[in-house]
Amino acid sequence: MGSKGFYQEYEVFSKRTDTSPLQYQFSMLAPNRELALIMAQENFMRREPVADIWVVKREDIRKMNLEERQTLKRLDNKDYRNTKGYGYLKKKWRQYEQGMLDEKEILSWGEEKKGENG
Amino acid sequence: MKMGDEACKRALIELLYQLADDDFILAYRGSEWLGLAPHIEEDVAFSSISQDTMGHAAMFYQLLTDLGEGDVDQLAHARPSKERKNAILLEFVNGPGHYLSKPRYDWAFAVVRNYFYIQAKKIKMESLKNSSYEPLANVALKVNIELYYHLMHWRTWFVQLMNADQTARNRMETALTRAFADFDGVLSLGSFGVEMARYQLIEPEEMLKKKWEAYMQPVFDSVNLTMPVDFGKKSGDGRAGEHTADLDRALTILGEVYFEDPAAIW
Amino acid sequence: MSNVIFSNQLTDDEKYAHFMKRIEAGEKIEADDWMPDDYRLTLIKLISMHGISEIMGALPEKEWVPKAPSLKRKLGIMAKVQDEMGHGQLLLRVAEDLMKPLGKTREDIMADLFSGRLKFHNVFHMEAPTWGDAGLIGWLVDGAAIISQTNMLNASYGPYARALKRICAEEVFHAQHGEAIIMALAEGRKEQREMVQDAINRWWEALLMFFGPQDASTTGTSKQDITIKYRIRTKTNEQLRQDFFSKYIPRVRSLGLTLPDETMHYDEKQQKWVYQQPDWNRFKDIIKNNGPKSKDRLELRQTTYTENQWVRDALERSDSIG
Repeated sequence: MGSKGFYQEYEVFSKRTDTSPLQYQFSMLAPNRELALIMAQENFMRREPVADIWVVKREDIRKMNLEERQTLKRLDNKDYRNTKGYGYLKKKWRQYEQGMLDEKEILSWGEEKKGENG
Repeated sequence: MKMGDEACKRALIELLYQLADDDFILAYRGSEWLGLAPHIEEDVAFSSISQDTMGHAAMFYQLLTDLGEGDVDQLAHARPSKERKNAILLEFVNGPGHYLSKPRYDWAFAVVRNYFYIQAKKIKMESLKNSSYEPLANVALKVNIELYYHLMHWRTWFVQLMNADQTARNRMETALTRAFADFDGVLSLGSFGVEMARYQLIEPEEMLKKKWEAYMQPVFDSVNLTMPVDFGKKSGDGRAGEHTADLDRALTILGEVYFEDPAAIW
Repeated sequence: MSNVIFSNQLTDDEKYAHFMKRIEAGEKIEADDWMPDDYRLTLIKLISMHGISEIMGALPEKEWVPKAPSLKRKLGIMAKVQDEMGHGQLLLRVAEDLMKPLGKTREDIMADLFSGRLKFHNVFHMEAPTWGDAGLIGWLVDGAAIISQTNMLNASYGPYARALKRICAEEVFHAQHGEAIIMALAEGRKEQREMVQDAINRWWEALLMFFGPQDASTTGTSKQDITIKYRIRTKTNEQLRQDFFSKYIPRVRSLGLTLPDETMHYDEKQQKWVYQQPDWNRFKDIIKNNGPKSKDRLELRQTTYTENQWVRDALERSDSIG
């Protein structure tokens, strides 16, 4: 016995649909990425739709350690970056008899309205 | 398909038995491997393929049920080996031993047999999509969807083991010799093959065989393997109901609980 | 590297205090985080045993995969046993990552199993001679497994908690798969009903043993205190066993089935089930690989592992070919 090279660590990511983001699934052992790829779906996504799979060798991933994860914390004082900091505009626009162009309104612009364009 | 044409119906039923029995017995061999594959991750992947394959068998048996051949479970469990139409290559044991005791199963044979069979099955399904018997064409369309994965899975294993070390290569070549010796049985449509083609149920056997070779040639080339001029039917003609003791033993296991009370609800 | 400096700044006691603060705050520990040695060793022992039990657990049911009485049942049990292998995969990955700093891999786990150093769960040493046993394993053994695994869904070790979340989601299917087989038998003919009753009689003692001894006074050792201290689990063995009784005894009885323990009853005053203790000496003996099927199953696992060694050897250096 002695086939340590067979047991390489791979991390598996997948997309549920074409439009969904890549999601981390789990790790697996495989001798190489081609075999990792053909085993991934049935190991981690037997009962759900899958639109795409990525396998990544773990040693190619730079992960954060415990101390580095502390760099991710920040204060909750950044309203100026978010719509939350601009909520007062709603009231202002009302004075000009205009609606607020909020997230819901703006993101709806891309949709094709029924009845238009045939 | 002309309704009421007895010769056509006879050929159709024959074809359906071949398709169903092939999938059923190979899925059984796959289920014996469950828990015993060379790698845990592979065990899980292989089992999905065995499940898919048994699911396909169930769909083909259902078509037979619809044609008045009897209940699906009776078709799968109760027919004696002389009535089975599967290719003999697919019934061979996975290796010496029993699935519960000292199974000295041969992964090289599993890879070669499954890869060769799935490629043949894929070609048949592509052909059956245009079958004159519409219910079969519909089933073929569905079955085909799952074969892309099966094919990629087994081709990957095949190519990698063929290109690996000398031990692996030797084992693969031994398995290839066994598979080629009986592979004609897999591509064969049996004695009703001419009628099957005449009624446009499926393309002629020679056509299927040519396509199989055409698909396999580049893969064979890539692993430095020569395509044999002819395949064999060394162990007999499964399409004619000829089978080995391997099938009888398999049927005894498959029917063990079923035969305790075939009329009961399980 | 900043982490080296950081780690050097703290004494082990400080690291330990920080670690305890984290788990007490409900934070999850990750594989590469600092952890006390006894935490790591407890997890390795617990999770490698859990993982290898799934792999060994595939074997008693495996017998019934080809034998299942209909196409539908064949497919159902094939999917179920596949899940057991899949659970083994998830858990062994978690254990392997914990063992990595000790220089150990999956090969060592298998070697420990074969040498008897790594134990597998008592239930998987037992015989499963009929289709009724296949159903009963799915129903009650998986039922017991659900009780014990859901108890650890909030385990302080993140990778274990995440694996258990996946596993428990699939256990819901297992429970229903087992119920479906049992229901068909219980509603079936006399021989079918007897098949289930026999299986219950056969498995009852093993089910009582499933959750382990009440405390160390019974068998001499118990890991439950340390696992509770480190927030790996919350309930004691006995609490889990009582939960199992409350969930399953009424269901067993509702199908007209009986338990092979006439003393079994719910004591309203004590608010607990009173039952006859299993033979805990037999339990110790079983998990030392002296159960009725211990040797056979280990031999089966070892034969196939050895037979397939050439495949792993052949692809050992295939990573660059990939």
